[in-house]
Amino acid sequence: MIWKNPAALSEAGSGVLGIGDGSRLQVGVGRAMGHHGELLQGVFEGEDGRLLRGLVTLPLDRQQSLATFWPRDQGEIRARPPDRKKAARAAALTLAHLGFSRMAGDLTIESDIPVGHGYGSSTADVIATIQAVGSAAGVALRRSTICRLAITAEGASDAIAHHDQAVLFAHREGKIIEHFGGELPPLIVIGIQTDFSPVDTLTLPPAHYDHQEIEQFRVLRGLLYRAVRQQDPVLIGRVASMSAHISQRHLPKPRFDQVAQLANTYGACGVQVAHSGTLIGALFDADQRGIGTHIARFVRALERNSLHRITAFTVNVDGGILS
Amino acid sequence: MKIQRDFLTAYELPRPARLASNLYAACFPLMKLLPARYILERAKADGKLLRCGKVAETTSGTLGLALAMLSATEGFKLTLISATSLMDEPLMSRLRNLGTHIEIIEDPVGSGAQRERLTRLQAILEEQPDTFWPRQYDNPDNRLAYGKLAEWITRAFGQVDCLVGCVGSGGSLCGTGEFLRDLFPDLILIAVDTHHSVLFGHEPGPRLLRGLGNSLLPANLHHDLIDEVHWVGALPAFASTLQLYREHALFMGPTSGAATLVANWYARAHPDAKIVVILPDEGHRYQHTIHDRAWLAQQEGWPVRLPDAPVTLERITERSESEWTRFAWARMPRKTDRRDIDSS
Ligand SMILES: Cc1ncc(COP(=O)(O)O)c(C=O)c1O
Repeated sequence: MIWKNPAALSEAGSGVLGIGDGSRLQVGVGRAMGHHGELLQGVFEGEDGRLLRGLVTLPLDRQQSLATFWPRDQGEIRARPPDRKKAARAAALTLAHLGFSRMAGDLTIESDIPVGHGYGSSTADVIATIQAVGSAAGVALRRSTICRLAITAEGASDAIAHHDQAVLFAHREGKIIEHFGGELPPLIVIGIQTDFSPVDTLTLPPAHYDHQEIEQFRVLRGLLYRAVRQQDPVLIGRVASMSAHISQRHLPKPRFDQVAQLANTYGACGVQVAHSGTLIGALFDADQRGIGTHIARFVRALERNSLHRITAFTVNVDGGILS
Repeated sequence: MKIQRDFLTAYELPRPARLASNLYAACFPLMKLLPARYILERAKADGKLLRCGKVAETTSGTLGLALAMLSATEGFKLTLISATSLMDEPLMSRLRNLGTHIEIIEDPVGSGAQRERLTRLQAILEEQPDTFWPRQYDNPDNRLAYGKLAEWITRAFGQVDCLVGCVGSGGSLCGTGEFLRDLFPDLILIAVDTHHSVLFGHEPGPRLLRGLGNSLLPANLHHDLIDEVHWVGALPAFASTLQLYREHALFMGPTSGAATLVANWYARAHPDAKIVVILPDEGHRYQHTIHDRAWLAQQEGWPVRLPDAPVTLERITERSESEWTRFAWARMPRKTDRRDIDSS
C-alpha cells in the first residue's frame, strides 16, 4: 500500500491519519485465521494484582476469514453477507480511529470458518475487517490497536491477532496479561466436534471459578511459560488437559472423558477444548518419530467409537506434513 | 525485571539455588508470608476481617512474624500468643517493633504449651468476637496459598519428579504438592518431620528442633499425599544447616537444614530425577543459637557426624536427637492409632 500523505499525521484531528477526505482511501484486504479453542482459559492475576479472565488461543490457520473493503464517501457500511453486523461495526470503528469517520464502504467477508462451535469465526471476521480498513488507508495497524477495536466491536475477543505467538490474553479487556516470549512448539492437532448443534459462544454466562481453580490456573500459567520457553509439547499437553478438565465442571462436553482416554492411549501429549464451544482436540508432538502411525491409529479408534467429525491441522510445523 | 506491587509481594517469593546437578532449592526469606497474605486477603474478601480489624493467632514462629509484617503494612491489630519456651528475644523485639501485641504463657516443661495457648486464644475470641483467627493448622487457605510456590516451581523447572519439604501445619508441602500432583501424578512427596512430633505417629515429647513437627494433628496435613516420611533429629539438622552455609553460602534456618539433608540423600540415590526442596526461612533468627559455635558446643551430643543415609524403620518409633530415620509411608490415609502404622 502507498503512504499517501505523511503530513496528515501531524494535522490529524479526531483520528490518526485522515481529515475525513475519502480520496486517499482505496480498496483494502485483510485476513485472519480461526482457532480451535484454547490451550488454557481461566482467571489470572494482572499486573495490578486484580484477577482478569484470560485465555491462550490455539490458532488454526487453515481456516480463514478474508475481508475486502471498498471505500465509499456516502451512505453507511454495507456488509455481505448482511448478518456480519459486528464486522460492519468494526469497519466503522476503524474508519473513525483513522480519522475517516464520515466515510462508508462495502465490506465483503469470505470465510470458511464454521460458525458456532468455538472456532472463533466472528472474531476472525472482525479482525480481518479491521485489517482490511487499515489496508484501505495504507496503514499497518498495531496488534494492540486491532485488539482494542475488536473488543469495542464485539465485547470480547481472542488472541488471534497475535497469530502463533503464545500470549495469555484478557479477552474481555483486549490486552495481553503475559507474553510467554515465543511461539507454540510444533503440534499436530486432531480435532473432534462432539456436538452437532452450534452454541452461541458470546452469550454463554462466564464460568464462576472457585478459589482452588483460581490457584490451579496460576500453576498452569507457570507451566505454559516453561513449555513455550523449552518448546516442550508434552508440557503444553499437560496444561491443556488440566484446563480442559477444569472446563468440564463448567461447560461439560459430551464424551470428553472418552476422547481424553483414547488420546492418552494413543500417545497424545494431552487434550484441549474450546472452552465455550463443542470442540475437543488431541495434541500430538509433531517432532516425535513415528507420530503419523500413532495418529492414524487414534483416528481409527475415534471412528470405531462413532466419533466421525474429525479434522486435522498443524501448529508451527514447517512444511505440510499432513496432506 | 517485574516490579511487584509492594515490597512484601516481592519478598514473599523464593530464590532458586542449585544444590546438586539434579537438586534445586526454593530459598525463602520467610515462606510464611505466602499463607499469611492469602489467609488475610481471603478473610478480608469474605468480610471476616474488617479494615484495620483485629487478628489473633497462637504462633511464636515464622507465621507470627509474617502476620506481624503484613499487619504493619495493612493496618491490622495483631495479637500473638506464645510460650516462654518458644519465644526468643531477637524475634520478640522484631515483633514489638512491628506493633504486635504479644502474650506469653508460662511453659516450664518446654512442650510449647499448645493447648494452653489455644485456651487463651479462645478467651480472646470470646471477649472480642470481631477478631479474626487465621487458624493456620486447619484453614484450607493455608494450602491454597501455595499455588504461588507451585507456579514458581513450574515456571522455573517445568516437570518435577520429587518435592521435599518440612511439615509443621502441612500447608506448604501438601498445598504445593497437591497442585503439582494434579499435573504430574507420579510426583514423589517426601515429608520431613522430627522425633516426638505426632504428625506421623510419634508419641509427643520435647523437641529441640523447632519450626517443623507438631504436638497436634493439623487438618492441613493430608497424609494420603505423602510417599515417604523422614524424622530428622535436631543435631543432624543443625549440622546440615551449617553445611548449607559453608558449601553454598545459604544462610538458612534449621528446618532448611533438615530438609536439605533428606533432599541431598534422595538426589544421590536418584540421579535421573529432578528434585525440588523447600527451604522455609533464613538464619538471622538463629544467629545466636544454631549459627553460633559456642551455643552448639553446649548441646548434648554435639558435635555430631552427619549420617550418609537414614535408618529405614519397619515400625514407627522415636529415636534420639542425633538420629535420622525414614519410613515408606506410601500415601496411607490419616491414622490416629500408631499401632496401626507399621510396614508389616
Ligand atoms: C521455619 C519453618 N520451617 C518449616 C515449617 C513448616 O511449614 P508448614 O507449616 O507449611 O508445614 C514452618 C512452619 O511454621 C517453619 O516456621
